[in-house]
Amino acid sequence: MKTAFIMQKEIRESILTPKGFSWYVLTSVILSVLSYLFLTNSELSLLDQGQMLYMIMNFITALGILVGLVFGADAFAGEVERGTMEALFLSPVTKAEIAIGKLGAALTNWAIILAISLPYLFVVGKGGQNLLIGIAYVAILGTFLAIIFSAFSMGLSSRVKSVKNSLMVTFFIFLLAGAPIFLSAAQRRTWFGRILDFINPFACAINTFDSVVIDSQGLAYQAGRVAIICGYLLLSLWFLKRSVSRLEM
Amino acid sequence: MIINVENLIKKYDGYTALDGLNFAVEHGDIFGFLGPNGAGKTTTIRILTAIIKADSGNVLIDGYDVFREPMAVKNIVNALPESNGYYEWMTAFEYLEFFSHLYEKKTSKQEIHDLLETVGLHRKEGHLIRSYSRGMKQRLGIARALINRPKLLFLDEPTNGLDPKGRRDIHDLVIDLNRKGGTTIFLSTHLLDDVERLCNRIAIINYGTIVKIGELDRMKGKGSIEEIFFLSTKEGAL
Amino acid sequence: MADYTSAFAASRITAAIDPPSIQANMGDKITYIGTITNHSDRAVNNVIAYISLANVTQGKESPMDLEDWSANKAIKVYTIPPHGTYKGQWPMRLIDSGSYVAYITVVDKNDNIPISSPMSRLKVKRVLRLNPNNVLPVAIGEPVFIGMVFMLIAFKRRKRVK
Repeated sequence: MKTAFIMQKEIRESILTPKGFSWYVLTSVILSVLSYLFLTNSELSLLDQGQMLYMIMNFITALGILVGLVFGADAFAGEVERGTMEALFLSPVTKAEIAIGKLGAALTNWAIILAISLPYLFVVGKGGQNLLIGIAYVAILGTFLAIIFSAFSMGLSSRVKSVKNSLMVTFFIFLLAGAPIFLSAAQRRTWFGRILDFINPFACAINTFDSVVIDSQGLAYQAGRVAIICGYLLLSLWFLKRSVSRLEM
Repeated sequence: MIINVENLIKKYDGYTALDGLNFAVEHGDIFGFLGPNGAGKTTTIRILTAIIKADSGNVLIDGYDVFREPMAVKNIVNALPESNGYYEWMTAFEYLEFFSHLYEKKTSKQEIHDLLETVGLHRKEGHLIRSYSRGMKQRLGIARALINRPKLLFLDEPTNGLDPKGRRDIHDLVIDLNRKGGTTIFLSTHLLDDVERLCNRIAIINYGTIVKIGELDRMKGKGSIEEIFFLSTKEGAL
Repeated sequence: MADYTSAFAASRITAAIDPPSIQANMGDKITYIGTITNHSDRAVNNVIAYISLANVTQGKESPMDLEDWSANKAIKVYTIPPHGTYKGQWPMRLIDSGSYVAYITVVDKNDNIPISSPMSRLKVKRVLRLNPNNVLPVAIGEPVFIGMVFMLIAFKRRKRVK
């Protein structure tokens, strides 16, 4: 129950302050521009519907990761810097309860972003193949990735105790995670590209989206990549638990 | 005894913050904990409130072992830390309501109103904390520290940075809490005026150990508090 | 060097493309029919037929990479009987506007030169789509809606708190 109140406090801060709500407005504006460009730009609009849906799914997932990283960076370091952490520690709440509450709020942020994205997914994917299955995959894998990157970021935040340093590292992580996007199709087929794809949970997700939406492949085909993502999920939660347990004033 | 500390040791990266601390506090005391900057006052409070762990030693708070039963201790104590931050986007009422949910003892909305009235903030309970003055924030911090109706209240430099009226308001509040509410107060400060006005017993800490402890009146018989403080904390006083 | 005229006369194969001209819009899907006729008394085997497109728009003359236009650009025909014909289909999606010519080329390894059909003229018109897939209500409506929700929350909070 205490976890729920901490989560509620975090969510209220997201919704009631411009700092939080601006992310939702930004998500909507960027998706509006992207989807309009996709559908009206002379070259982009002639992409296969599946291709368009795939690209929007990647963007939504990347945005979910970014928001998770940014909120996570502030989770503990921000409270320490603003002097509010001590009052929390004085209360009969365990560090694990605080972490779970904050992680719950991070997931709620992701859920709001996903809800905002749904109309765009429907509009861009309308008439194309695998729309509903694509949405299901972005919801499930996107949630896993939101947890992974939020948890890593929060764990880092509790160790570093500085929002500035925490943000710097999380942006670096974001660039690393997004690295496969910057490689060409040919580069991704090299040994280096394959290793990068293999160890990168975001790459696993976008390859899964490609496989499901464009190539219409089933769940069994995704098993390996989904297993890697689940592995990262466990690792990130372990990292968060361990980092937070060592957090001291 | 509400506090019993035995041989408390705490080290940070080779630096010894507390070096075998021993003292006790009785129920109903307003206990002054004096010392120069860096003496170990805040570290002591953080250990007694189960925020941080010690390297060795024993601490009992109202019979509860702080290291083995931290949650039980947190339910009966509370503190106003020296640098206390606030969720400035909240109102005072929302702030107290949030913290009230974290304790086993439930606090009703009316009790929160009453608490804000006790600290003189009832007219501003719907205002955002970011609009509060420093003195108002201190009073809000005390309200937060009273949310669980603690038996033992730690105040770490509560009048720092306040104007004379603000300081007097805090003094009156502390005296009220102790005399009417029966709350034991552990007051950590380096302001000797606060000690003289509020405390019945004091301890002086320097370099992580207690250099003097006893009834304030008895100590004053041997000289002014200022003299006793400077004599106890000068170089080589240990 | 081979004599083209005599080589053409000596080839067993001719190629034709239908329709001879098309006018369509960007994004439309069309299909060319290529007819390969075997004029000889012997069957022809394993010939390759492929479609080519060239941009003949004034100032933009260039060969076209059919990567995004068509998935099956080349067909292998296993056998055409003596005096027989083969009709192949080349579906295409019109990706860009402009003037083009399309033609079918047939390669028989027993011949010296490839055989091309006459050119089919293709005019693709640019179409301005302002609201494809009904995107506008979402693209404009959703940010406005979220902005309004935010303003409502901020307004209600301002009323409640001071």
